[in-house]
Amino acid sequence: MTGLFTKLGLAAGLALVTATSGLAQDLPKNLRVVIGSTSTGGDTYQAASFVADAISKHFGINAKVDAVGPTEAFKAIARDRRGTTIMIHHDQSYLGHLYGVKGYEDIFATYKIGPTLTINPGNAYLVPKKSPYQSISDVLDAAAEGTRVRVAIQPGGVSEIGFSALKNAAKIKKPGSEKNLVPVNTGSQADKDQLLFDGQADVINGSVQSNEQYTRLPEDDQKAMRFIWLTAAQETLDQVNEAGLGGTSREALLQYATPKSSVTLDGEKDFTFDKDFFIIYNKDIDPALVEAIDAGLKEIYAEGAIEKSMKDAFFVPHFMPSKEATTYLEKKRDDYRKVIEAIRE
Amino acid sequence: MDFLSLITPLFLVLILCGTMIGIIFGAIPGMTATMAVAVCLPLTYSLGLENGLALLLGLYVGGISGGLVPAILLNIPGTPASIATTFDGYPMTQRGEGESALKVAIFASLFGGLFSLVVLYLFAPALADFAIQFSYVEKFLIIFLALTVMAALSSSMLIGIFSGVLGILVSLIGAYDVSRGGNGEYRLMFDFMEPYLSSGFSLLPVLIGVFALSSILIEAEAGVPENAGARKIALDQGKKFHLSVFSGQWKNLFRSASIGTFVGLLPGVGGSAASIMSYSQAKAFSKNPRSFGKGNPAGIIASETSNNGLTGGALIPLLSLGIPGDATTAILIGAFTLQGIQVGPLFIGDNLEIWNAMIVAMLFANVCMFAIMYFAIRHIAKIVTVPKYILLPIILMMCVVGSYTINYGIMFDVWTLLIFGLFGYLAYHIGLEIAPFVIGFILGPSAEIYFLKSLESFGTVSIFFTKSWIAVVLWVLIAISIGLSVWMSRSGARHHDET
Repeated sequence: MTGLFTKLGLAAGLALVTATSGLAQDLPKNLRVVIGSTSTGGDTYQAASFVADAISKHFGINAKVDAVGPTEAFKAIARDRRGTTIMIHHDQSYLGHLYGVKGYEDIFATYKIGPTLTINPGNAYLVPKKSPYQSISDVLDAAAEGTRVRVAIQPGGVSEIGFSALKNAAKIKKPGSEKNLVPVNTGSQADKDQLLFDGQADVINGSVQSNEQYTRLPEDDQKAMRFIWLTAAQETLDQVNEAGLGGTSREALLQYATPKSSVTLDGEKDFTFDKDFFIIYNKDIDPALVEAIDAGLKEIYAEGAIEKSMKDAFFVPHFMPSKEATTYLEKKRDDYRKVIEAIRE
Repeated sequence: MDFLSLITPLFLVLILCGTMIGIIFGAIPGMTATMAVAVCLPLTYSLGLENGLALLLGLYVGGISGGLVPAILLNIPGTPASIATTFDGYPMTQRGEGESALKVAIFASLFGGLFSLVVLYLFAPALADFAIQFSYVEKFLIIFLALTVMAALSSSMLIGIFSGVLGILVSLIGAYDVSRGGNGEYRLMFDFMEPYLSSGFSLLPVLIGVFALSSILIEAEAGVPENAGARKIALDQGKKFHLSVFSGQWKNLFRSASIGTFVGLLPGVGGSAASIMSYSQAKAFSKNPRSFGKGNPAGIIASETSNNGLTGGALIPLLSLGIPGDATTAILIGAFTLQGIQVGPLFIGDNLEIWNAMIVAMLFANVCMFAIMYFAIRHIAKIVTVPKYILLPIILMMCVVGSYTINYGIMFDVWTLLIFGLFGYLAYHIGLEIAPFVIGFILGPSAEIYFLKSLESFGTVSIFFTKSWIAVVLWVLIAISIGLSVWMSRSGARHHDET
């Protein structure tokens, strides 16, 4: 009888160990994906939706995207070690810290960086169609000649990094001329557009997705705009669909990016900025879960369906497992830190 | 007419279901049209764009309209845009005219919705061009105009202004938001409050706290009398509803629908400002302004026509500029981006089928809203006959659940509800005015950002007077509104002295 109980106990113990180890690698049945934006119309929600949808199907779980904004998203992952809440955000998550925005900590020290997912190559700078500035070089030349150029941005992140690069390039071109590039700090894309319509900004930060239709309006329309600079790297833009977006082909977009539109980083290389989306976890998340998501996403991207959906929506698929992603993003952070510090001196 | 092929039975059923669910969301304190649309947004993946939009537009129209039910029957605005509906709706309920008030509100909502739809269909691109003439300066003046109603809403002008300014002050607690162009610095709070108040107090929990929870506390203090049945509000014991209530209200209807549509097409101004402005204008142009706030149907007409007028108005900048007009259309834009459709100045011309399908969806949603609410009124209105010792705990539970879910599960929002519930209770006892406080709280952040950005952009205060003819017109309206408040205050004081 004792032997029977011993065997039963061992079997139960073995089953428990097996089940527990299995659970450690399984994703929770309900996965909450919080994003660092409160908008459901923006690129963060769109990128997160692609990934959440693919994860749901692949793992047979229920993944839901909640647009809670950066502060609440960071709080949500900070209190969840079980991995039932993950965050998807972009370069803003470390740029906010570099710019000293309250509420942004050093994500590399405070959280665990997950895989990169996709790039939005659409970060752009625009002028009114009637503007005297035909290119980004014209803007830098004007600043060098002492003309005050007002640039509408949202401070403290992705919108500002291109502006910081412009100031850095102006400083390299003619030290002191960077003071002629004046930021007009504002909020949403609508606010930036409005400043251009009102003549209160000479250049605005925008995106291919939001502003492309405005570039197709006739010149006598008050709303008509023109791209002068895309911050994306050439190799990133090379990967977008040939048709580009709306009425603007990839070929046409490449005219506004490096090397044809040059904003120097150090006098030799050009500055580029690809807006990367990636996962952020609680610092103490079970490594097995991280591995499971890495492995699952690797299979999802290998299947190809997600890549097609992303490309159709003007995203560039960019999967990189967690370890590589951490190294890649840390290097990116270090590069941009140099740009920001260069213009602070 | 290719779009007719998109109008399938499923399309119509989705609008019907959307409207019904939207009404329920709007009617539950703490749940809004915005939340309803956000919850159902992922469904657009599986439904496709046209069917997805049918559902979302139904939710939008239903959600905006549903807010009138608790506003009239319980004095709790179901959505921020229904605040002005409480001013005259609840007094009518207390007179036993709840059902009549609901019918007035539903007719007004239908009129506002259809008016804005016609404007949307006929003038969208032209009005979008007009909307971009409104810079920070004109938007600040519109907010200022809405704020001037604070004084007129109170029994005492000074107390009204004080309450309103207090509301503005409380709304500014937290960071000067960088996402709106601020510097990210914290105001009016200590650093240790950062984990809770970095984004300030959320609007909905504050609103529910001061309106609903404070009423529950006041009722609890009064206790349940032995003859509880005698205190129960009777259902429709007062004047019966008749369409003649609208005679003489055509100006009010058109003016309020125009204000709602117009404010809707200005991004960042919001539905609350629309209904408050319409209410103040209805009062300003009324032959009997003193009857407002005491159960005058004209007040309900102004508020409800205007907030439903917003629905078509807010779609104008969305579909003509790619810029959402309000919080709900900001979520609606996600339906387009998820399907890879660009929304911008060329959207209508490039997507005529979708555009026409949306117009049909809006039309059908308004008709559904009217039919569902009108025929359900007798049953809905019975809520006031439920004994309060049963009704109030249910409302309290809904308030807590609504506050917790409004920002996807933040416990501090429940604390906000309790804090402002207590504040509302204290305000009642010390004589502060809740309506101006809430108006100040809602409009404060927009007033701040537009005022500061105007100064940053133009560098001089004189720009508020010299920017454009629109600014001059707005100053005239502001002067009329302030003049009316002063006149009412003085003549009220004189009347009080005589009696």
